[in-house]
Amino acid sequence: MSLAPAFRNSTPADPFDAIRNAFGFVPNLFHVQSGLPCAVESEAQIIAAALLNQGALSRQKKDAVLLAVANAAQNAYCAALFRGGSHFLPDGDSALANFAVKLARYGPWISGNDVEALRQGGCADGAVLEVVVTVALGQMLCTLSDALSPVPDPGFTGLIASQPPTLPESLEVTETQRPYLSDIPRLGSDYEPFAFLREQFGFIPNLFEVQAQRPDVVEAEVQALRAILFAEDPLSRLQKEKIILAVSAANLNTCCVAAQTEILSTLGLPPEESDEIVQDHDSATMPDADKSLLGYVRLLARYSGATAAPPAAMERLAALGFTEPQILEAVAMAAWTNFLNTVQFGLGTVPDFAPRHGLIPNKPYPFPAHGRPTSETSAPSLPADPDAEFVARVQAGDTDAFEELVRRHFRRIFGTLNGILGNADAARDATQDVFLKAFEHIRGFQGRSKFSTWLTSIAINSGTELLRQRKGDESLDEGNDDEGFRPRLIQAWSETPEQLLAASQIRDLVRQAVLRLPQKYRVAVLLRDINQLSTEEAAASLGIGVPAFKARILRGRLMLRESLAPHFARQARSAKC
Amino acid sequence: MLSCAEFLAEFGDYLDDAASPDLRARLEAHLHECNACQVIVDTARKSIRIVTESGSFSLPDQAVEPIVAQIMARVRDKTP
Repeated sequence: MSLAPAFRNSTPADPFDAIRNAFGFVPNLFHVQSGLPCAVESEAQIIAAALLNQGALSRQKKDAVLLAVANAAQNAYCAALFRGGSHFLPDGDSALANFAVKLARYGPWISGNDVEALRQGGCADGAVLEVVVTVALGQMLCTLSDALSPVPDPGFTGLIASQPPTLPESLEVTETQRPYLSDIPRLGSDYEPFAFLREQFGFIPNLFEVQAQRPDVVEAEVQALRAILFAEDPLSRLQKEKIILAVSAANLNTCCVAAQTEILSTLGLPPEESDEIVQDHDSATMPDADKSLLGYVRLLARYSGATAAPPAAMERLAALGFTEPQILEAVAMAAWTNFLNTVQFGLGTVPDFAPRHGLIPNKPYPFPAHGRPTSETSAPSLPADPDAEFVARVQAGDTDAFEELVRRHFRRIFGTLNGILGNADAARDATQDVFLKAFEHIRGFQGRSKFSTWLTSIAINSGTELLRQRKGDESLDEGNDDEGFRPRLIQAWSETPEQLLAASQIRDLVRQAVLRLPQKYRVAVLLRDINQLSTEEAAASLGIGVPAFKARILRGRLMLRESLAPHFARQARSAKC
Repeated sequence: MLSCAEFLAEFGDYLDDAASPDLRARLEAHLHECNACQVIVDTARKSIRIVTESGSFSLPDQAVEPIVAQIMARVRDKTP
């Protein structure tokens, strides 16, 4: 069954309906967010899926889990809310409560042994997944409550969270096999939320794949991200992605930091700048206001050891010019990050990419008051750059050595610019300018990438800028032009299709077909198939991750194939796909 | 077995002969059963070959030397 129509158009008519169904009324926690409806909408999505949908765990047990989380957080507002106004605790389940408390307070120390204990307490994998998601929901709601300090709801006053349950005085970090669930079905790429994630990020994060036993929960999570993350206001997409990175780092979540670094790289933020945010955002390259924003959300990280963010910290943001919706969105993003980090800790997903840093809980208990220990993992060494010798000579003042670099790369740079601009004369001029620019800046080239990668980046940026100037206000980002693209012309081609047309005809045909491609796919095809860069070098030239590049080049190649098919297809019955 | 949609989302590395053994086996199991996807793989490979060999965006050989000379003249103008 395709989820496409429902997924694409699903915006709840009234997100308060789900909240009302879950709690019996609309708590003040959500009223205080009325200045940012998309935040309430995203929270309602996950509340509906996690609490209201039938699953392996009864609602009563979910309430017990939520209450354990609120007690562990010493959050009186949420404890009262989760008790439902009752002074009585739901039926206790010590295995559930122990796991919930450990995950809520000591997520980075969770291991497969904890999940095994839960199994021995009677939870199958489906129930384990629900416990983890419910704890994550509790963490999210506690974050919102800590930051926004809602007035207690009528009839829910006077309830004070009990002391957090006692835990062993020391915790050991235990490495066990990951992920912790063994029964994970494959949802496949026709599962629309996964297709959406792939489209947005260039890959499907393991964090979502590992929850495949509950596709409704995954869909709610992805819908929630759609509601809040991808819009450019009130905060920009980049600001929100940086919040996820900063909070994940504060939470010592190596896996989410690795994925987020990759996602930010697809948005144009070099991994080195993400590293700066992970290590010390105050030293990172960004406006002071954004540093204050990240400093604030780090106070909301549930595993950082920080106590609740003081109201004065929020007031400082307002004084810096952040609007109320922007501050609300920052809080909501921090709450969502705590949700995602908790799910990762609880399910033990493996990193999607080799982590650039291992965030290690090296002082297990209690939490260090300051600082998040990081350790450098050994970075893969770059292959030797064949241009290094000539680059060094030019940097030392040998202008003649630059001619060799021009000769080596001239054709590739011209081909890239000719493909971007669609005009050979303009490409000649632009190629000259690119090499001149490279010469002027070569002393600043530090060899972090290959020279050819650096040069190609300059060409792409210059060509794109020229195209933008030529097109004026017309957007170069063709929006959702490619959504739902599927091959349609499925007819075999002759064995040697090149022989069907003259070389000059093929040259013109390919040129027109490539120039018709949307910009991002055109550049991918130019780099990989026209200029024959490796996938890794093409991705690096664009400043995006390899998975994101692979998604682009595949789409570009399929679109080109479709465009060329009428000229090379045999006149035979088409097959059906 | 993979559906066609799954196959089409995953076969990029296969086109580049870079699929892991596990992925390759799953893709080929699908190809064994699906004529349409066989056609798409075959025609996509031919399409890539045609695009790569077309020379659609390259410069004629005789145009290269004058432009290299122009670039180096401008570079030397910039050199103190």
